Amino acid sequence: MNLKKGLFYSLLLLLMLALTACGDSDEASSDGSGDSKDDGEVIEVPIGYTGPLSGPAAYYGENTTSGLKMAIDEINEAGGFEVDGKQYKFKYIQLDDQYLPNEAANNAKRLVQEENAKIIFNPHSGGIYAMQVFNEQDGFLIGAYTSEPGIIEDGNSLTWRIPPGYDGYIEPFTEYQMERFGKKIAFLPTATQYGKDWAALLKPVWEEHGGEIVFETEIDFNKDTDVQPIVTNALKHDPDVLFIGGPSEPTALVVKAARELGFEGGFIIMDQAKLDEMAAVLGDNMELLEGSAGTLPLIYSDFPGTPAFVEKYNELYDKNPGSEAGFHYFAVYALVEAMKIAGSVDDIEAIRAALDEAVRSVPEDKQVYVIDGVDESGANVFQVRMAVVEDGEVVEITADE
Amino acid sequence: MDLFIQQLINGLTLGSVYILVGIGLTLVFGILHIPNFAHGALYMLGGYVTFMAMTSLGLHYVLGIIISMIAVALIAVLMERGVFHHLRNAPPIHDKIAAIGIMLFLEALVLVVWGAEYRNMNTPYSGTLNLGAVSISTQRIIIIAVSVIVVLILYWFLKKTMVGASIIAMAQNREGAYLVGINASKVAMMTFAISGALAALAASLSTPINLLFPAMGHLVIMKAFIIVIIGGMGSIPGAIFGGYLLGITESLGATYISSDYKDLIAFVLLVIIMTWKPRGLFAKEVH
Repeated sequence: MNLKKGLFYSLLLLLMLALTACGDSDEASSDGSGDSKDDGEVIEVPIGYTGPLSGPAAYYGENTTSGLKMAIDEINEAGGFEVDGKQYKFKYIQLDDQYLPNEAANNAKRLVQEENAKIIFNPHSGGIYAMQVFNEQDGFLIGAYTSEPGIIEDGNSLTWRIPPGYDGYIEPFTEYQMERFGKKIAFLPTATQYGKDWAALLKPVWEEHGGEIVFETEIDFNKDTDVQPIVTNALKHDPDVLFIGGPSEPTALVVKAARELGFEGGFIIMDQAKLDEMAAVLGDNMELLEGSAGTLPLIYSDFPGTPAFVEKYNELYDKNPGSEAGFHYFAVYALVEAMKIAGSVDDIEAIRAALDEAVRSVPEDKQVYVIDGVDESGANVFQVRMAVVEDGEVVEITADE
Repeated sequence: MDLFIQQLINGLTLGSVYILVGIGLTLVFGILHIPNFAHGALYMLGGYVTFMAMTSLGLHYVLGIIISMIAVALIAVLMERGVFHHLRNAPPIHDKIAAIGIMLFLEALVLVVWGAEYRNMNTPYSGTLNLGAVSISTQRIIIIAVSVIVVLILYWFLKKTMVGASIIAMAQNREGAYLVGINASKVAMMTFAISGALAALAASLSTPINLLFPAMGHLVIMKAFIIVIIGGMGSIPGAIFGGYLLGITESLGATYISSDYKDLIAFVLLVIIMTWKPRGLFAKEVH
């Protein structure tokens, strides 16, 4: 009799576990700290990271840390860097937050208290929002890897948004798709805050251009075992364009389902998903992605430092880097420059102020991206670059500011 | 009508996968009274073994599935021998904690060995059938057909063979089964083996229309627990009914009621069924 009851409790326990699963299975590594004792002159500067290292978003987390680690290892192996006459090295500490905002905030506290970290990287808007509550008070700079425009709108003075905001993509994507395919769109974004915010920005723009939203839902990649039923429903409304997004790989499944069901229109792809990674899931078949508008994948970019970076990354990780790796790699080199300009490794206000000049002073061979500066709000300034798939080829389109 | 048929097939595909996972779960519960939370991890392992057999060893998809079923069955037996067998006289909560431990261990292991990246399983059966306005991928037909065949074989095995009969006997009355001389250890191992093999089969069938990644087990295990509870813990017909019910509710509910509330529909159904029949639809007396 009690078994039934016990089972319900068990299910409850399972639910709780699913939410917190291995929440404290953080791993810490301190690359390059081993030989610091030999050289009494070299001082270690901690760089903190909190991000998803386990759970459904672990792959994304791995991509972000790979760029950070690569740059830090390179700098340390080259003997570190000099600021104000002293020699420094980086000490890298990473903690797992499972993509959870509350865990990100806890980790940030730990990194500040235990490691005295002044710079903490985090690759998701939820975590960044959570850290913004206390980062000015605790005196650390957030290396924010998110395209969410909101994180720099509240005037947080110690936030540095590394990638471009997605607000820049909305107009050019809309114009391109309307011209090529038509005015009817179905919304199938990922069921995260990021997905909802993207959709909320796209909606008015699409309608202003005379478009019509024929179907609206969202896809929860953590819960929906199969996307086909959802895509079937969307296609019933006969859209010309599908608005999709989320991590590259599951997003590619949406494309696959749509093509299998006979959809011939275009896709507006949220910036989290990358065309090259999606094509890999589709058996390297770019033709299935015909008519997609998305961000320009790093491997198709032609910045001065990109080819060398792609090659070295391939050697180390045996795969092509995405923009997650590229931006983080660039960010570390930009930080070094900022510290040099500020003349300090721990005066975080001065470092933040120096970033604008620093992003332009990164050595040319490390310029995996070219960034024109850092604006008042803490965002890197870019020219909007988008990619579309035409005749099975990724074509870059530079939109006007 | 086309839409209805299309969604019905989608629902049947989903349901078939839930059924294969759910039967394994319900068998282990019915016989050993262990809610095996690690079942989702076995499912995930099954997908990985098939994938590795296909890519590293270059084997055919079907051969990969067979190897995977054997391998995961062995792992499941090891789990029983190494962990649950020693806990047979412990309070039930120990089994649950152990199961969760195994789940976390297996997931972390796969993460370390094969990495976190999503993988895509390409099978020789990647075509699409077009019947009028309805298009169905070959893989979906395979999923539905194989699950029906496997369920029939399993039914025959449990009803018509001696080993199967001893499993049923254990489920019906443990003490009685001991008294007539049924080897409890053997039955326990057998049950775990079947449940592991079914999980591996389910994962191998559904991965080609999905993706392979370490957390993939979470998606189905929650659904499997729901269908097993709807159908009545320990009941195989219950798991089958529950599986199709949930699969079809998810696809047709999203179409004709509301796609935003499709998960709600499944849970409302669960609540109604639990209120009406607290033991599940097909529950038999578990002591």
